[in-house]
Amino acid sequence: MREILLVAKREMRQVIATKGFWIMLAAVPIALAISGFASNQLAPERTTAYSVVDESGRYAPLLETQMQASFRQATLRELSEYAEKWELQHVDPEAPWANRQAWLNPAEIQRFAEAGGAEAAVALLEPELDEDTPPFEIEDPYYTEVALPDGVAIPAVGEEVGERLRSVLEDDITVDDRRLPYGAILHIPANFGQPGAQARIFTNGRSNASLIRNMREILSASVRQDAFAAQGIAPDTAIALQTMQAPVSVIEPPPGEGRSLVATRSLVPIALVYLLLITAVTTGSMMLQGVVEERSNKLFESVLACIKPDTLMQGKLLGLGAIGLIIVLTWAGTGLVAALYFEGFAAEVLRPSLEALDDPLLILAMIIYFLGGYVVLAMVFLAVGAISESMQDAQSYLTPVIFLIMIPVVIVMQAALKGPDEPVALILSWIPLYTPFAMLARLGSGVATWEIIGTIVLLIAFIWLELKLLGNIFRASLLNDGKPTWKRIFSWMGSKDSAG
Amino acid sequence: MPATAMAFDGVTKQFGDFTAVDNLNFAIPEGCIFGFLGGNGAGKTTSLRMALDILSPTSGRIEVMGKEPSRENAAEIGFLPEERGLYKKMSVLDTIIYFAQLKQMEAAPAKSAAMALLERLELADWAKSPIEKLSKGMAQKVQVATALVNSPKLLMLDEPFSGLDPVNQAMLEDLIAESARNGATVIFSTHVMQHAERLCDRLLMLARGKKAFDGTQDEARAALPSRLALTAKADPSALPGVERTHAGESHDGWTRYEVELQQGIEPDALLEHCTANGVPLRSFDVQVPSLHETFIHFVGADEEIER
Repeated sequence: MREILLVAKREMRQVIATKGFWIMLAAVPIALAISGFASNQLAPERTTAYSVVDESGRYAPLLETQMQASFRQATLRELSEYAEKWELQHVDPEAPWANRQAWLNPAEIQRFAEAGGAEAAVALLEPELDEDTPPFEIEDPYYTEVALPDGVAIPAVGEEVGERLRSVLEDDITVDDRRLPYGAILHIPANFGQPGAQARIFTNGRSNASLIRNMREILSASVRQDAFAAQGIAPDTAIALQTMQAPVSVIEPPPGEGRSLVATRSLVPIALVYLLLITAVTTGSMMLQGVVEERSNKLFESVLACIKPDTLMQGKLLGLGAIGLIIVLTWAGTGLVAALYFEGFAAEVLRPSLEALDDPLLILAMIIYFLGGYVVLAMVFLAVGAISESMQDAQSYLTPVIFLIMIPVVIVMQAALKGPDEPVALILSWIPLYTPFAMLARLGSGVATWEIIGTIVLLIAFIWLELKLLGNIFRASLLNDGKPTWKRIFSWMGSKDSAG
Repeated sequence: MPATAMAFDGVTKQFGDFTAVDNLNFAIPEGCIFGFLGGNGAGKTTSLRMALDILSPTSGRIEVMGKEPSRENAAEIGFLPEERGLYKKMSVLDTIIYFAQLKQMEAAPAKSAAMALLERLELADWAKSPIEKLSKGMAQKVQVATALVNSPKLLMLDEPFSGLDPVNQAMLEDLIAESARNGATVIFSTHVMQHAERLCDRLLMLARGKKAFDGTQDEARAALPSRLALTAKADPSALPGVERTHAGESHDGWTRYEVELQQGIEPDALLEHCTANGVPLRSFDVQVPSLHETFIHFVGADEEIER
């Protein structure tokens, strides 16, 4: 054991002395910092500005009211989901937001508005929140009306669009110190509603489709109402007809169940799959480089005079395994800190993901699959190193090996997310090289206990076999000067030692 | 009878159909300098690797300091392989300490032993430098230090002089002699006869895995017929004990002859015969055969060796 630790310590010191290690260690924290900064500073504005030039004077207020109503509807939907998810309906069971279906009902939306909208609801809920519950954040409205900028002339029908109008729409517009995209200018002529008169929407060509749809719907409703009136239908009846809704109710699972639960539970295991791949491949490459260095530097004989080949191999596995673990823990740690710092993410994604992993067997299995997968892959890299004369040589062995690992892993990830019983994922779960990936990918969507235990037993047996074979390859190849052929490699796996 | 540092008893090593070492028997007494002599493929390296437990024999028995070969002996062994290399990024001092620790030394004594050796090898100023900054000769000296750091009782050196310049070769010869004076048994393999001639108490000559000779240098020479050069008036071929002669330069009626005596006949006997019988001689030089000549005698002229 002392020798294994000595070898492991030396391997670790060698890696830690390289710049590459520190660059890799810093990669994730830097990426997180950049993405955090970017999402804080560079996030696109959600709100789109628009202007209305209403020569009739009838439609602009209507438009604004309707825009507000549709935003309120969206807010009510989000708020009711929030209330259900964090079990806050008890605060006011009669409130519109205590009912998941309320957003479909105009009367309820109206009642929501009359009760003070989202602001009033948030004020009511705030004292009831426990410390794990994030407050509800009222989003900015989707659209905001702005006055037509100075000097912009609306061209007559058939006339060319002026330069000023075009450039105003191309640029963002400043509203209360915020730079907002300028989505559209709606022109309503004085005679709108009469035959031949048409409203025009000027855009920059990249406009928000729903903004245009909203404008069209609101104007259409208004024109329809006029038509009803012209037909002698009473205004109340007309409104009733217009707002008539087919009785449709939408059935949704409560938040945090159904497919969303599968996704939530799969987040940590799937993150582990990627971590496993990245760390195994990077530290595996370091291991390989180390072995090739020792081989091409003719170092082995001196070392093997003091310790057994198995000890050397185990020391390397342990040392570089520890390096891998340092990297994983650093990455996971900074990821966690970042997640907690960006509160929304921690509360909405990370905490539920961790909470979903409530089964000790599941957690234990995840750890075993991760470590097992690491050892399995690390040994593949060590074997490649042991049979390679130079780095160039190693590359030519490594390319097929990486493909052999990556392609099935990519396939299994796709398959496992579709469902735990996809045939590809099922088959690969029982091939030890892929077991850790397939099982980690499937864990979140529910796998039978016998299957977890069975694959772990098989994985451990495979690791034992791999250790034996690798030990033989190590012993036989390290002192061998000749170029290894596949035939010789296979004979090494079985033999005790080989030509010196 | 001194204790045995290493013994091979009927040891054979086969790699597939190839026999690298063939039924080898020898014993190395403690405290001597022992040379493994042979050309390429004679089985020197394979024998040393078996003694170190890097390879295991196909048949036969090996004893190293009274025990079976195993890594448990590592603490008492210093080994310098023929193919040398060190971790390029590691410092000189760390390298030596690492190998000392692999040989079961504790860190503190390993460090002081390493520093003492570096002083001795005139490398103390380079202790903190990475190996890659060293010249080839310096790196070779560091490698020698890794073999000597644990003050081994048994020093095994595989072709220790190859790749060293004459100055460092002389330094290494001194180190080997010093280790032996301090009681260590030194075994080294070489295909250069000069070093063996200067250093070895005992020799093992190998030819294609088989033992050709095992004994002291004097014993090796005694196995060759005696040779001498004499200057006489008449061809000495007819004198008793003379196997063959070869005439050289003549001057004023005197001729110089190279004379090879029959096996077992000493030059003294010939000289005595000449003086007793009034055979006129102007010179009588006994020629001691070189180790190279004894090697060719035992192993054959085809082996790739150096004088």
